[in-house]
Amino acid sequence: MKKSIVIVSTLYGIGLILSLWLYNHKPIFIEDVGQLLPTKVKEIHSATSEAELQSLVKESINNNEKISVAGMQHSQGGQTYYPNGVVIDMKKYNKILDYNPHEKMITVQSGTTWEDIQQKINPDHLAIRVMQSQNIFTVGGSISVNAHGRDIRYGSLIDTVESFRLLTPQGDIINVSRTENSNLFPLVIGGYGLFGIILDVTMHLTDDELYQIRSRSIDYQDYPDYFTHDVKNNENIRMHIARLSVAPDSFLRDMYVTDYELTENQNNLANYSELKRDTLAAPQKFMLGLSRYSDWGKNLLWDMQNKLYVGQDGNYITRNNAMRGDSKFMEYDNPSKTEILQEYFVPIDEFSMYLDDLRSVLEKEELNLLNITVRYVNEDNEAVLSYAKEDMFALVLLINQGKNKKEIEKTKKVIQKMIDVTLQHDGSYYLPYYSYPTQAQMDEAYPKNKEFFEQKKQFDTNELFMNLFYKEYSQ
Amino acid sequence: MNFRKFLIAQSILIAASSVVFPFYLLLIKNVGDSYSQFGWAYGLFTLTAALTYPIIGRLGDRYGDKKMLLIYTLGMAAVMLLIPLLYEVWQVYMIQIMMGILGAIQKNTEKAFLARNNDNETAGERIGKYHLQISLWSGLGIILTGYLIDFLTIASLFYLISFVYIIASFVIIKRERI
Repeated sequence: MKKSIVIVSTLYGIGLILSLWLYNHKPIFIEDVGQLLPTKVKEIHSATSEAELQSLVKESINNNEKISVAGMQHSQGGQTYYPNGVVIDMKKYNKILDYNPHEKMITVQSGTTWEDIQQKINPDHLAIRVMQSQNIFTVGGSISVNAHGRDIRYGSLIDTVESFRLLTPQGDIINVSRTENSNLFPLVIGGYGLFGIILDVTMHLTDDELYQIRSRSIDYQDYPDYFTHDVKNNENIRMHIARLSVAPDSFLRDMYVTDYELTENQNNLANYSELKRDTLAAPQKFMLGLSRYSDWGKNLLWDMQNKLYVGQDGNYITRNNAMRGDSKFMEYDNPSKTEILQEYFVPIDEFSMYLDDLRSVLEKEELNLLNITVRYVNEDNEAVLSYAKEDMFALVLLINQGKNKKEIEKTKKVIQKMIDVTLQHDGSYYLPYYSYPTQAQMDEAYPKNKEFFEQKKQFDTNELFMNLFYKEYSQ
Repeated sequence: MNFRKFLIAQSILIAASSVVFPFYLLLIKNVGDSYSQFGWAYGLFTLTAALTYPIIGRLGDRYGDKKMLLIYTLGMAAVMLLIPLLYEVWQVYMIQIMMGILGAIQKNTEKAFLARNNDNETAGERIGKYHLQISLWSGLGIILTGYLIDFLTIASLFYLISFVYIIASFVIIKRERI
């Protein structure tokens, strides 16, 4: 009996030590929401304090490691990681540091989400000026892609940022604003985490307002005029979004528009200001599922969406609630497929001709296009990697594709053609997505990208902050 | 092996597996990237169990319930050392097959042991009491884990439970004094 116990204990001890050793050497894989770039990284660290972040950076400097900074990881081209690098996950660095309702200013740590801010400021009837259509993103991540959304009166996110503090590649902490270290301001915003870690951000807020939803169908050829005369010129319309048909029966022709118009009587605001939750995801998810698999489903979804959204005409909604788009229904778990985004910007007067050209490309190609939304962005000359060279329409395309090499190549071919068409119409494309565009397309869409990468190398001489996007396009 | 010892060993085993089970489910869901893989992983477990039951039954008759239970505890202790190392789907499938066999050993031995007692008149009462004790321990295990997991990583939970299985194996090996 004793002998058995000794044998069991010895064998178990050996097994335990072996297991612990292997566990410590287990590779860590990371991927972003695009799921096309699973990558082995060295470590993932999550920090809650400035001191922790600073010591992580200093440690990486000493160990000659590369750092990538991650928020919600909705960028799809490996902007948030690098092979064998250290990933700093900012999601827990999410305190609201200072909030001044009278001056309509807020200072938050960069892992704070828009949702956190909305919860904080909604009781004071304040709202965010510019953000994406969904509120799930972190402030730091949104700033790093210089996001934009449904608001049409402010510019991109850079417009609403007053200042931020940056943890530099040397491990120092500096203030950055339009007056202090001002050269860094337009580099870090829309800088894809390549200049350091954004610690906390001070932003301007605006009033929460009560809007009436105006929604109707429109032909794509009438849309630019409609937008210029009826939307842009009407000061009371504060937000706007349109949808473009991907259904075979009305492909890139039928649209419907949704305008958010300031109501005359703002006294009712309080009646509508309770923050809404995600609506029931199942029906929308089911419809999107049908449209993934068949043209029939796409036609059906378009008709239903049309009724649904146009049916909202006349409803009231607060600005805060208009800035909390559903996102749950888009979650997609498929072992071999994923859903990716593309975003193309075209000047307003090019829009109809652009769609005609895009249609003739897509009619010959095979691409499972599920959804296109259209937004408006004001010209932005501030950010070095600005996508809005003039006032432009932004088309966001949701594409279903396979994860394997062959499927990636297939999608690449079509996307490069679509980008060519976009560039022919003086357009550009958005950078947070998978590295489908060629270097030549990058150079044409972002004439200042050489300057951007040059500045990066000067500021971060050892290339401490690295990611797959930088590796792909900085050569 | 007397009934009392059997009861102690089973109580430890059942409590240990109840502690680990929810976290194990979480882990195989995370390793696989779809529900169909999750379905396969779980299906493999049940299918291997199904196919091995007849053999295990015969082995139990031949070598005795004590040896079978010992194989189970040592096997589970080893499996718990492997679980924290999993990161690919095929590894999960392998573990599921091993757990399928081990699970079948445990279930079959438990029932065979209970059936071997010749007290047909009071079998219901005896098995009822047995289940009371087993379920109590399993419930306590689950509740305790709810608190424990705040202090442990999931990997260390598997290591801890592996150790508990080894303790259970010592109980089984020990001479029948209790």
